[in-house]
Amino acid sequence: MQDQILIEMKGVQKWYGGYQALRDVDLTVRRGEKIVLCGPSGSGKSTLIRCINRLEPIQQGSIVVNGHRLDGSIKAIDVVRQDVGMVFQSFNLFPHMTVLQNCMLAPIRARRIGKTDAEATARKYLERVRIGDQAEKYPAQLSGGQQQRVAIARALCVQPKVMLFDEPTSALDPEMVKEVLDTMIGLANDGMTMICVTHEMGFARQVADRVIFMAEGQIIEEGAPEAFFRNPQHARTRQFLGEILAHH
Amino acid sequence: MAPHFGLPEFGFLLRGLQWTVLLTLVAFVGGCTAGLAIALLRTCGHKGVEWITRIYIGIFQGTPLLLQLFVVYYGLALTGLKLDAFVAVAIGFTVNASAFLGEIWRGAIQAVPRGQTEAAMALGLHYSSRMRDIVMPQAIRISLPATIGYLVQLIKGTSLAAIVGFIELARAGQIVSNQTFQPLLVFGVVGAMYFILCWPLSWWGSRMEARLALASQR
Repeated sequence: MQDQILIEMKGVQKWYGGYQALRDVDLTVRRGEKIVLCGPSGSGKSTLIRCINRLEPIQQGSIVVNGHRLDGSIKAIDVVRQDVGMVFQSFNLFPHMTVLQNCMLAPIRARRIGKTDAEATARKYLERVRIGDQAEKYPAQLSGGQQQRVAIARALCVQPKVMLFDEPTSALDPEMVKEVLDTMIGLANDGMTMICVTHEMGFARQVADRVIFMAEGQIIEEGAPEAFFRNPQHARTRQFLGEILAHH
Repeated sequence: MAPHFGLPEFGFLLRGLQWTVLLTLVAFVGGCTAGLAIALLRTCGHKGVEWITRIYIGIFQGTPLLLQLFVVYYGLALTGLKLDAFVAVAIGFTVNASAFLGEIWRGAIQAVPRGQTEAAMALGLHYSSRMRDIVMPQAIRISLPATIGYLVQLIKGTSLAAIVGFIELARAGQIVSNQTFQPLLVFGVVGAMYFILCWPLSWWGSRMEARLALASQR
């Protein structure tokens, strides 16, 4: 049973100076589970996933990823980052490297994999996000949707156990949202554990095992997508869903 | 009877030019090396270290270069360390350049978007790889126009070395002018030599700047 748990956050508190960004957050993620995190801006959902790979330190509570406790030591951070892939809202591809080099860097530098193997892995994942023919191009030569798919491939090259998505479609033009969501759906169907911060409620309905709603740094409500959307328990959730679904 | 400005005088100016170039090269290479260290320490995230480098930069940017040269040449002599004029000015210019280049590159490092470092960290890259593979290649591109601009300032600034008796191009011009009583001609030649050295660099720098501006528009 214990092996089934990939991520366990307990009593997590985080402050930025005097501002409390996370209040007593408990979250358990099982292997293969797909979670969608939603909530108004400033609700702490991005902060929450950024704590899982220690882009943000926490002040209280504990986070265990794949059996390794993030205790602040460099070794623990290292081990955890090997298991956690992340995709950012603004892609954050390395502009001075080709698509292929973007995907090969971390396996070579952080995992000490040989160049030939790293390239084979990179090409495999670039094919998987259907962008294999653009491997020699630079990020600036690609569309936003293509760049985000490269970013997904780059994260997969480190062969993580869980993928974190931080509003992956928010910076995209509407016509490019679908290609990125399709890639994520493909990944979900292959059994990847995923935590996605997104407002794409269609995506949530389609792939999420659980939808979690956050406000003011707290988890307010969570549930299976059907129940969550049909019958939200809290007024705050209903208000949020009303606002966001009004656009769709 | 004063000698006219002829080949021997021109040769003397050329030797001065050689020293100007040599002094610039030593100061620039030394300044780049030390400046890189300063820039990295200045952005390392450790409050104490950042403060020390900030004070270092503050001192060398906040006092006249002339004074710094005096301190190295005459000040160190008082402590019993008598330096050759070239060594003294080379040390003075190197230290000064390290502060200016350190500050230029500090700015360039901080101008690389935070997301680049975050992506690198999320991929599990360590500090050395983050700097070498991700941040510095972008920071160097950003800083290139300013770095070249500083190099041009440095070339012209080396004329200050004359103050401690080091004979570089400007000082050589002064000597020849005093001998020949043809200041307009002599300083015209000296000026042309500085111009030939500096102008191509300035041109390259502004071209680089234009190209970078174009690249960032894409």
